[in-house]
Amino acid sequence: MKPSSVDAVIRGLKKAGVSTVCYLPDSLFKELYPALDADPDIRTIRVTNEGEGAAICGGVFLSGKRAALIMENSGLRASVEPLARMGLGAGIPVIMLMSYRGELGENNWWAIPHGITMEPVLNALRIPYRVVREEDEIEQSIVDAYNWSYNAYYHSAIALGGSIVR
Amino acid sequence: MKRYDCMKRLAERLKDELVILSLGASVDEWYNAAPHMRAASLFQQQLGCVTPQAFGLATGLPHRRIISLDTDGGMMFNLGILATLGNEQPKNLFIVVWDNECYQSIGGPPTHTAFGRVDIAAIARGAGVEHAYTVRTLEEFETHCAAGLAADVPYVVVAKVAGTVQPDIKRKHSDGREDKYIFVRHVEATEGIVIMGPSEHN
Repeated sequence: MKPSSVDAVIRGLKKAGVSTVCYLPDSLFKELYPALDADPDIRTIRVTNEGEGAAICGGVFLSGKRAALIMENSGLRASVEPLARMGLGAGIPVIMLMSYRGELGENNWWAIPHGITMEPVLNALRIPYRVVREEDEIEQSIVDAYNWSYNAYYHSAIALGGSIVR
Repeated sequence: MKRYDCMKRLAERLKDELVILSLGASVDEWYNAAPHMRAASLFQQQLGCVTPQAFGLATGLPHRRIISLDTDGGMMFNLGILATLGNEQPKNLFIVVWDNECYQSIGGPPTHTAFGRVDIAAIARGAGVEHAYTVRTLEEFETHCAAGLAADVPYVVVAKVAGTVQPDIKRKHSDGREDKYIFVRHVEATEGIVIMGPSEHN
């Protein structure tokens, strides 16, 4: 990620009122994670799998603070169980920012499953999402996701792809 | 040792705390054992989510004591949270694991702790949660509740309890969605904050 894209993500998170980020690091966002760690206004929590991160974000929601789950899109698959239970069972929302691994242009065979499954899994969970490939749309897209989720009390997701992460 | 008896002892110590608890029969038992904590308790049916949610709540409300009432099945479902707690060292999170060595709510098939080898407290210590203990008597349980509720480090008590359920207790009628609203309104009222506020007019 370019420094300007990293800045746009952090501006969006702050504009949306996010104070806690749970993450499991990945390669496409590798410049983002240390920037989040270094930001004095954001508490980062490193998790062992993204499902755990989703549940922690759910707990942060219940406290009145705002959290984000940041990960590679493969983490969506690891999060399906807690997302289904929290979102559909209780109406506890989790807002996700994920790197779009496996879209057209992917050059790693192991990332192909991530691209094939991401949008069908989001659709199966009825999670609205936006794929963002232009840097100037990052900030507002993050704000839009929070606005939607804090009215729907349901999950939403932003996937960053294209030249933002390549 | 019966889970319900432990719950009554724990409930006597609670007033301003917030509780997140696991699924199954422990929901109805806590509903009866701690009637004064009903609005302050989030009754969820989420295997593997209980302690992570409690940690998230503890992160957002660092001045408030948060209690996770988890289970052997629930903790084994997501052991990674113990490593996260080991690293993060929350100062306000007390975790009780009701270890009845079985999946009681589906008729009692054994969990991994039933065979004398798997020790959740030892796993927790290995994950960096230094204060993690297994208790088998009410007196031990009470001692660790007192210590855990006053600790400024994460504290885990694994309570070895019978696989039975307290008979003739009142069933809780509400579902997870209603429970969330009750809990959120309680947090809003006691913290003086808005979590689920009004929509905009536009």
